Amino acid sequence: PADTRDAVQARARSAPAPVTDVAKLCVCDLLVAQCDVNCCCDPDCSADDFSLFTTCSVPVVTGDSHLCSQKAAVYSLDVEANPPERIFNLIDQVNPSIFCIHATNYKQALYLKSPEIPTPENFDRLLDEYGGATFSAEPDSWNLDTDAQSPPDANETYRYEYGVPVQTEDAFLRLPSPVVSSWCSDENPAGFLVNQATKCIRSVSVEKCDSIQALSMLFYINSSILAVPKSSQMVNITVQSVVVQSLNGMRTLLSSSDVLRLPMALGELCLNAVVGVNYHITYTDKGEIIEAAAAFVLGAISKEALSIEQSFEISFTQENAQPVPLSGNPGYVVGLPVRAGFRPQGYPFPAEFLSSKHSQLTILQSTSTQDCLAAQGARAPVLFGYNMISGCELRITAAMKCQTLAQTLLDVLKGQSFPEYVASFGNSQAQDVLDWVPITQLHISEQIISNTLQSSCQIPVSLGIEVKWTKYGSLVNPQARIVNVTATITSTTLKQLPSGREKIIPVTSSVVFTDISSPAEPGYKAWPSINIKLPFDFFYPFV
Amino acid sequence: LSSLPLQILLYVNGIYYVFYFLATLAMIIYKSQVFSYPDDFLAPDLAVLFLMAILEVPRLYLGFKGNLTEAEAPLGLSLGLTVGSVVLCVYLLLWQTHVLWADVLLNALLLVAYALESGLKVTAIAAFVS
Repeated sequence: PADTRDAVQARARSAPAPVTDVAKLCVCDLLVAQCDVNCCCDPDCSADDFSLFTTCSVPVVTGDSHLCSQKAAVYSLDVEANPPERIFNLIDQVNPSIFCIHATNYKQALYLKSPEIPTPENFDRLLDEYGGATFSAEPDSWNLDTDAQSPPDANETYRYEYGVPVQTEDAFLRLPSPVVSSWCSDENPAGFLVNQATKCIRSVSVEKCDSIQALSMLFYINSSILAVPKSSQMVNITVQSVVVQSLNGMRTLLSSSDVLRLPMALGELCLNAVVGVNYHITYTDKGEIIEAAAAFVLGAISKEALSIEQSFEISFTQENAQPVPLSGNPGYVVGLPVRAGFRPQGYPFPAEFLSSKHSQLTILQSTSTQDCLAAQGARAPVLFGYNMISGCELRITAAMKCQTLAQTLLDVLKGQSFPEYVASFGNSQAQDVLDWVPITQLHISEQIISNTLQSSCQIPVSLGIEVKWTKYGSLVNPQARIVNVTATITSTTLKQLPSGREKIIPVTSSVVFTDISSPAEPGYKAWPSINIKLPFDFFYPFV
Repeated sequence: LSSLPLQILLYVNGIYYVFYFLATLAMIIYKSQVFSYPDDFLAPDLAVLFLMAILEVPRLYLGFKGNLTEAEAPLGLSLGLTVGSVVLCVYLLLWQTHVLWADVLLNALLLVAYALESGLKVTAIAAFVS
């Protein structure tokens, strides 16, 4: 019935009445219907419980001590009695001060204010007053007008900062990525200067393939990017290249990339479905975006496929700069490849080093065949901070010529183009000659004392690269800096084998990173000197 | 035939009232800092105190004049004003927002002084009329 509902609502609207009787107030009574330990005022405790207490945690409960005379509940434990019992006294406490409150006609002054219970009528008002991060006692005096934002000044220039989402006409530049599960979510904004690569799965069906937006090229290039946030300058996303991937995975680069290819269902296949997008954004050092290009990989979906994997990548390059990926800024970041390069020949004082994306320090990568000569030239980049060791086995027969074997092994160990210089910092530019460290090459030959006087040749069996690095810069944020790189080739003597025999020797290569940073030296400021001088004529007239 | 006790009492009352006014004002300031004293409770209390101060000046002046010149009209007016002061004093004693023990003492003393004054004024008027 309506009246009971109203009664329930009325009860719910008012907070429970505050307890003012000191005999019934108990601060330590926390457990409901259970006796709290050492709480002498707890009504749930029986005489047996009191006999186990050691002390009273709340000895006295009083009201406001400003009152001239007030009731106080005093709890104490009589430990002399056997068993110990609780003593409860209700006494009148007198405040001897002449400024004690004799009477008060404003009852709320002595108690805390009961908060307003939100009801559907006053909810909006309460939300306005208390819904913000701060509120003051006088809400009218604060003029927080969150709706009317100050209009942007004409002189204020916006620019993109690291991590800020790249804005487009309608919202943000989206880079679909897996969230929680592997399914694509289109709500991931691309951050400025944040190079990202994501892969996610999208559910498709061949019948609806031209209506699924995320499979069409238009979805990724139709909204133009704002050059700076909150501006009207637009940068169109151009199509840089289109690669068509067939069902068996073979990719073909299309010669004309200005034709927009939309997905279409052809028989049992859906062609021109977007399988990968690679954004390249060019920016200036003022934080503006000046160019945006997208490279597409279009694939075909067969009828049985219920989902395809899409991969997305975005990379930022500064204008007029070679897109060399940095391995740190400025110190090397653990896990990023060590940058290396060559000094151009014929220049007595080279102005630049030749360093590109592909010139890295690499070591031999162990393959499953484990045969050095059959290795396809697979090499792994040396990543800063990661000690690596790899190797292969060399099968020597009598018919092998030593010189060619030595050359082959040297190629296997060092690779086709072993760099001469290594970048000292992760962001060393090719123009800064002093930022590059030369690789010291050492040769150690293990001389095996042999009784035979046959001229034996040396074949390299091990390459050890030792990279010495130090911590550079401030103590709070030390940067890794490569100081010295030594490549040691250890050769061993190859004994001539009798014909028909085979020998297997292991060939290894390793990279070791050694921290040679010296401990930080504290620097102290000079003690302030006290500069006291007497005035010039202090001893006048005696001087 | 001027009443000497009345004159003494009026004189002492004047000095005591200055002390009473300053003390009560100081205590109201103290109460507003230490306790919760909202503005709509503070205003009536201050108004009563200042009204009482405004009433006190003519009351004492008329009392002096009436007693010294042996005229009953000023004394009668002074008596009327005393009634008003008594009412205000009772307000400050009982119906103030916060009544401190010092408030009780001061107001009680003032009330006693008013009561004695009123009695002496009545006898003085009776003496002057006859």
